[in-house]
Amino acid sequence: MRNISLIIRRVWKSAFMFTALSVLIVSGTQAQDAAEGRKIFKEKCTSCHSLDRDMTGPALQKIVPTKSEAFLLKWINNAPAFIASGDKEAVEASKFNPNAEMTAFPSLTPEQIKSILAYVKVGEPKKEGEKAGAAVQEEVSGFSLAGVVAVILISIVVLVVLGRAIKMLERLILQKQGVEIVEEEKVSLVAGIGGLFKNKKFVFFFILCLVITLGSFGWMGMWETGVHTGYQPVQPIKFSHELHAGTNQIDCQYCHSGAFKSKNASIPSLNVCMNCHKQVQARDSHDGNISPEIQKIYNALGYDADKMTYDKSKEKPVEWVRVHNLPDFAYFNHSQHVVVAEKAIRKEKGLKPNEPVCFACHGPVNTMEEIYQYSPLTMKWCINCHKAAEINGKDNAFYTKIIEAHEKIKKGEKITPAALGGLECGKCHY
Amino acid sequence: MKGSILAMNKTGIVYVAFFALTVAVSLSSCRDKRSTGLEYARNMYDPIAYNPDQPNKNFANGQTAQTPPPNTDPVGFVKYEYANTKEGYEAAGKNLVNPLPLTEQNLLQGKHYFTVFCAPCHGDKGDGKGHLVQIEKFTGVPAYHGDAASSRGGMMKDLTAGKIYHTIMYGLNNMGSHASQLSPKERWEVVMYVQKLQKIQ
Repeated sequence: MRNISLIIRRVWKSAFMFTALSVLIVSGTQAQDAAEGRKIFKEKCTSCHSLDRDMTGPALQKIVPTKSEAFLLKWINNAPAFIASGDKEAVEASKFNPNAEMTAFPSLTPEQIKSILAYVKVGEPKKEGEKAGAAVQEEVSGFSLAGVVAVILISIVVLVVLGRAIKMLERLILQKQGVEIVEEEKVSLVAGIGGLFKNKKFVFFFILCLVITLGSFGWMGMWETGVHTGYQPVQPIKFSHELHAGTNQIDCQYCHSGAFKSKNASIPSLNVCMNCHKQVQARDSHDGNISPEIQKIYNALGYDADKMTYDKSKEKPVEWVRVHNLPDFAYFNHSQHVVVAEKAIRKEKGLKPNEPVCFACHGPVNTMEEIYQYSPLTMKWCINCHKAAEINGKDNAFYTKIIEAHEKIKKGEKITPAALGGLECGKCHY
Repeated sequence: MKGSILAMNKTGIVYVAFFALTVAVSLSSCRDKRSTGLEYARNMYDPIAYNPDQPNKNFANGQTAQTPPPNTDPVGFVKYEYANTKEGYEAAGKNLVNPLPLTEQNLLQGKHYFTVFCAPCHGDKGDGKGHLVQIEKFTGVPAYHGDAASSRGGMMKDLTAGKIYHTIMYGLNNMGSHASQLSPKERWEVVMYVQKLQKIQ
């Protein structure tokens, strides 16, 4: 009897092991399918589809469970042909967005399509530990601030207590030595200071100190008048240059396209933001909601992110606060500096080849979470660079024209102001 | 005597602390990064004429930068005749040809604008694997070559100049319009460079 029960137990055990193993393997392959599917999905589908939101195409986690796999295989493989074949369900599905048609993907194998469907079913793998880490960090920073305050308070208390203790000990020593303790007379504070001011040397010293302090403060104040270096106003939207120009490596010119063509570097209009933020909504870091800062762009445009429609009547411009502000009497042209003078500026300011020429004056913008004024923008600052920078006239259309004009003048040919750019509006009207 | 010295020390500490506090406060107020600091003759900074980005009470919508009145065009504005529809796309693809000659200079310009405005997503080689795609900020970008299909039918590598121009003009799916960032000439330079990338095997 005992043998039988042993055998049964063994069989049971191995059966259990087998099932457990097979479950593991199956779930493992499923995970692999989903990972493979995620890769293809990101490559081919996300330009029109999202898992949980309607975009150009419908939200896949809502629509996919309502369709059969056979239908989906045909549909994804070649939707236009499927619709043309007159299939009722396909024709119905094509009505989701009359302006766009589902792209045909004849290159995808049925296995690949199945792995995409597996990914759609499973969804985005959850990133564990990320949130917890952020919370810990926040706690630490809060803790460290409270810690500093506590340390200061404790040290004050310790100082006071130590002072008292020293006083007590001194009294004890004096008592032991048999000296009689005379309670000191308390001289009133005002009377004490009044007495000091009768001392001529002290008065002289006091006035000297006062003059030096006020004088140096005044001198510093005058030098810094009208110099806005380090000015970092609070902007209506917390736009981070560190994220956009640093992490995302977007070229300055993408948004400030005016800097290379005109006097103004130009603040990008919101349609430029929407080139990316129609899709990028940072939902991962905001519990599935649109980031409040990105929502501000949508509010300014009257854009409804769910319906993907604009309401012109709700438009309200974003009132950015100007950081770099030259006095109105000083003329500065961006394009002249970043296009014509690019090589000279790079050389003078010692920029690395991978740094945009803009960094010469605006500093390491790709590390600024909030933008601030890096250079003083004073007249002295302009002039010092204009004295030192070396002009490179080679392969520079701007100087070729000037040299041509000079040659003409040398030869005594007729030359007009118009030939020297005298018809450009900005020469007179700026 | 000893006691009196200690008492003086105590008041001394109070004075020193007070002095240090005033110095700290006055120094920190000088370096307030949220303010422009002391300014002399502020009105010389402020423009008399309106800057394009300034608020303006003279217009109903409060902006200085106004859109042109209906049925008018700014000087030098090139009108784009094709509508943002499927028909418009096909017509543009059929009728439009690149007006610029295929030169080294134009290609170089096109490459520059492509690198700035397109490569963050489309990749330097047009393989759909730009930096933003690699860090998964922006996905679903098709390659210009290989077996990539266009969502408007046909293969990406077979798109005509007109179709590419039309897409830069209006955007498509998740891609926005880049018309405000690129002038018509610059758009054609980009088209020229994209057509070079289409030929990559």
